[in-house]
Amino acid sequence: MENTIPRRVYDFLKEFPPFNLLSPDMLMRISERVLVQYRQPDEVIFQQGDAPGSHIYIVREGAVHLLLEQNGQPVLVEQCDEGDVFGIRPLLASESYALTAQVVEESLIYAIDVKGFREALENNPKVAFYLARTYAAGVGKKYRRESKSMLFLDQDKSMEAGFPLVEIQSLEKSKDPVTCLPDTLIREAAGIMSRHHVGSVIVVNKERQPVGIVTDKDLRAKVATGLVSLDKPVTEIMSSPVITVGPNITVADVQIEMVKNRINHLCITEDGTDGTSVMGVLSEHDLMVVQGNNPALLIREVRRCRDGKALRHIRERAEGLLKKYIYQEVAIAFIATVMSEINDELISQTIRLCQEEMDKEGHERPGAEFCWIALGSEGRQEQLLRTDQDNALIFEDVPEEEYKPTKDYFLRLAEKVTRMLNDVGYEYCPGDMMASNPSWCLSLEEWKGQFSKWIFEPSPKAVMFCTIFFDYRPIFGKKELSFQLTEHIFKIIEGQEIFLGFLAKDALQNPPPLTFFRNFVVENSGEHKHEFDIKARAMMPLADAARVLILDAKVGKINNTFRRFEKLAELEPANQELYELAADAYEILMRYRALQGLRNKDSGRFFNPSELSKMERVNLRNCFQPIKELQSLLSTRYQLAYLR
Amino acid sequence: MIFEWVAKLMGPSPDYPEFWRDYLLSFDEASKKKTPIEKVCFVVLDTETTGLDIKKDRILSIGAVKVQNWQIDLSQRLDCYVQQSYSPVRETVAVHGILPGANGNGVDEIEAVKHFVEYCHNSVLVGHHVAFDITMINQVLKGMIGQKLANKRLDTATLASRVSEKKAYEQPGTFGLDTLCKLYNVPMSDRHTAAGDAFITAMLLMKLLARLKKRGVRTLGGLLNGPSFS
Repeated sequence: MENTIPRRVYDFLKEFPPFNLLSPDMLMRISERVLVQYRQPDEVIFQQGDAPGSHIYIVREGAVHLLLEQNGQPVLVEQCDEGDVFGIRPLLASESYALTAQVVEESLIYAIDVKGFREALENNPKVAFYLARTYAAGVGKKYRRESKSMLFLDQDKSMEAGFPLVEIQSLEKSKDPVTCLPDTLIREAAGIMSRHHVGSVIVVNKERQPVGIVTDKDLRAKVATGLVSLDKPVTEIMSSPVITVGPNITVADVQIEMVKNRINHLCITEDGTDGTSVMGVLSEHDLMVVQGNNPALLIREVRRCRDGKALRHIRERAEGLLKKYIYQEVAIAFIATVMSEINDELISQTIRLCQEEMDKEGHERPGAEFCWIALGSEGRQEQLLRTDQDNALIFEDVPEEEYKPTKDYFLRLAEKVTRMLNDVGYEYCPGDMMASNPSWCLSLEEWKGQFSKWIFEPSPKAVMFCTIFFDYRPIFGKKELSFQLTEHIFKIIEGQEIFLGFLAKDALQNPPPLTFFRNFVVENSGEHKHEFDIKARAMMPLADAARVLILDAKVGKINNTFRRFEKLAELEPANQELYELAADAYEILMRYRALQGLRNKDSGRFFNPSELSKMERVNLRNCFQPIKELQSLLSTRYQLAYLR
Repeated sequence: MIFEWVAKLMGPSPDYPEFWRDYLLSFDEASKKKTPIEKVCFVVLDTETTGLDIKKDRILSIGAVKVQNWQIDLSQRLDCYVQQSYSPVRETVAVHGILPGANGNGVDEIEAVKHFVEYCHNSVLVGHHVAFDITMINQVLKGMIGQKLANKRLDTATLASRVSEKKAYEQPGTFGLDTLCKLYNVPMSDRHTAAGDAFITAMLLMKLLARLKKRGVRTLGGLLNGPSFS
């Protein structure tokens, strides 16, 4: 008897855990005994409470819902799609089913005899371990380090999308080449170069064909030394002819050309010859930036940007860097630091540019200094992908008569900054948590009052603001102002158990990511129906818990959620393991969200669990475990039972 | 069917080889027209042959699975390669990739058909354009014992045209196996092995049966009697 058909089943099963952990022989034996079942919508495969059956199931095609009946109401716990294993309980224990499996779409399901599988379990401890870890409740604590990297096992696939050597074309297109005509005076050319912050100017004829190039080196060597007068035309000092290349050149080609011709600049023309018009210029410096790997260069470049468009371009390149880091599994702590450095610099430069613009418009800078603070995820240094802007402004206290003009100035500035940030790619905050909102552009004294009010008169709304504002971090201006505010907060929070209680209670508000037997909870309705909300269900509960605990411990200046947990692990040896798990989990979630965001070109917040590889799903699941434990810790510590 | 009636009355002739006597006897409990679809045992088969000429061409392989109560039990499958001394026509090799030398562990044609008869017994035979496959098998049976298969039969192409309520000739090309599998989300892997195609056809059959059942076709009789558009 030939094995054509089981071979097909085999080829399918071997893609999914736990089957991928079996030996080929064992998997073949299992494949030979599979039942291929046709199931219709609404059909119930097994019912919660039913005695364990004789098969476990994997969806070949279609969809099955796992439902938990609570108070007579079925709650969707997980949707199983192609490759999802379900109904595994009979394999592990002779307990009855804890869920109901109901078919939602016409499905083909492979039913696998438990008997055959038990054999596999006995002979293969890896499989037993996997199943126990994945499906048994309460066993998931030991996922730690070893499974961390497994989350991205299938990264090779994403790597194929690749980082083409050619970033240059897009790089240069957005950068208008600086040019001048042959009769331009050297004096004027030097002025053009300094105005545009560039090191070279291409000399072009009337058809915009390159005839030569003047670089800062030419100026230094020929003009500064007095060899040539500033009032001569640029043709006196330009290098000619220009080495030209076509727009589709690779980094390697550029390097070769530069080395071969001993030059630092190449001119890009439409067809790569000097008979067509100039599209851009490439300097060795550009090359270094493209070859990238160098966030320092990127940050330095930010300061050369003169408008939102240029800043946006840097942000896009930073995203390329992020992608590379994520796929190379660079430590999240490092990525987060680099990305927030870049973000901070982008925001700072935006503010500088807006200040200059205000100057130009004739708005005199007030005597009071200010501090621009980032809130929310940017405040926590966790903003890897571009998300909404959340910011506020603190200005120095001023005499009453100066208050109004001072506030007006900062509001106007904030309005400009938020608008430009929006252009750069940080979208407006839909909740208007921005410095341009008069409520969040306040003097230090007003801010102190605001926080006192939130802390002394806690209400659900106050707590909501606190969760956003407490993660503030100074970005630009007089940082001392923000430190003074922090001091004030720690001073008044002393003995405010009720407030901390409110905050802790809020940390328990987020819907749990998993049910008690560890399956994803997907959205039941709305725009993101059947999608998983990684932010609300997994990340916020951890960030919220970290915030309460760190506030209670009166540790300032640590905003990052996983750093907060690391600090807490130090402070509370009794809960060290849990906090370390939480820190790890948060890092994994951040990495995961970034990856998902890069895949889907969005914030990464919502995704369909079926888009994940099996491994990703399983490992994500594992890092939810600390959430539940943290929540019960908060509940006990702040005696939330009575607050509820 | 006269044949069944005679067979029942007389009992199988003692001159028949044992496998054929067993085959005939199995019809004692053959599915009746009133049998609900769930209870019917369908044998979904496919053959690969050296060509389409029923007189000259030969069977290269027979593959079959059983569908009963909405499931296929893979442990109950038939996957038989035939050892043919016959040299194949070039184009046929291109389609199914079986070369004469590749069937080293195959059985001879008579053995293969015997296996099939023992396998299917009284089941309802189903296939995509199944008439051809049955004819090829009958050719062998005829040469062997002068008999032919007596099973009830269903064609998935016909069932599909019933489901879509269109006549096949109105939509040329619509009822090919590939097209139908795409239409009904039947997972396909490498096509064109007898067993592989039988497996695919079996999954398609279940999907078609479910649709017909929704329209009130609940019994074998309903399936067999339905209007035929092909």
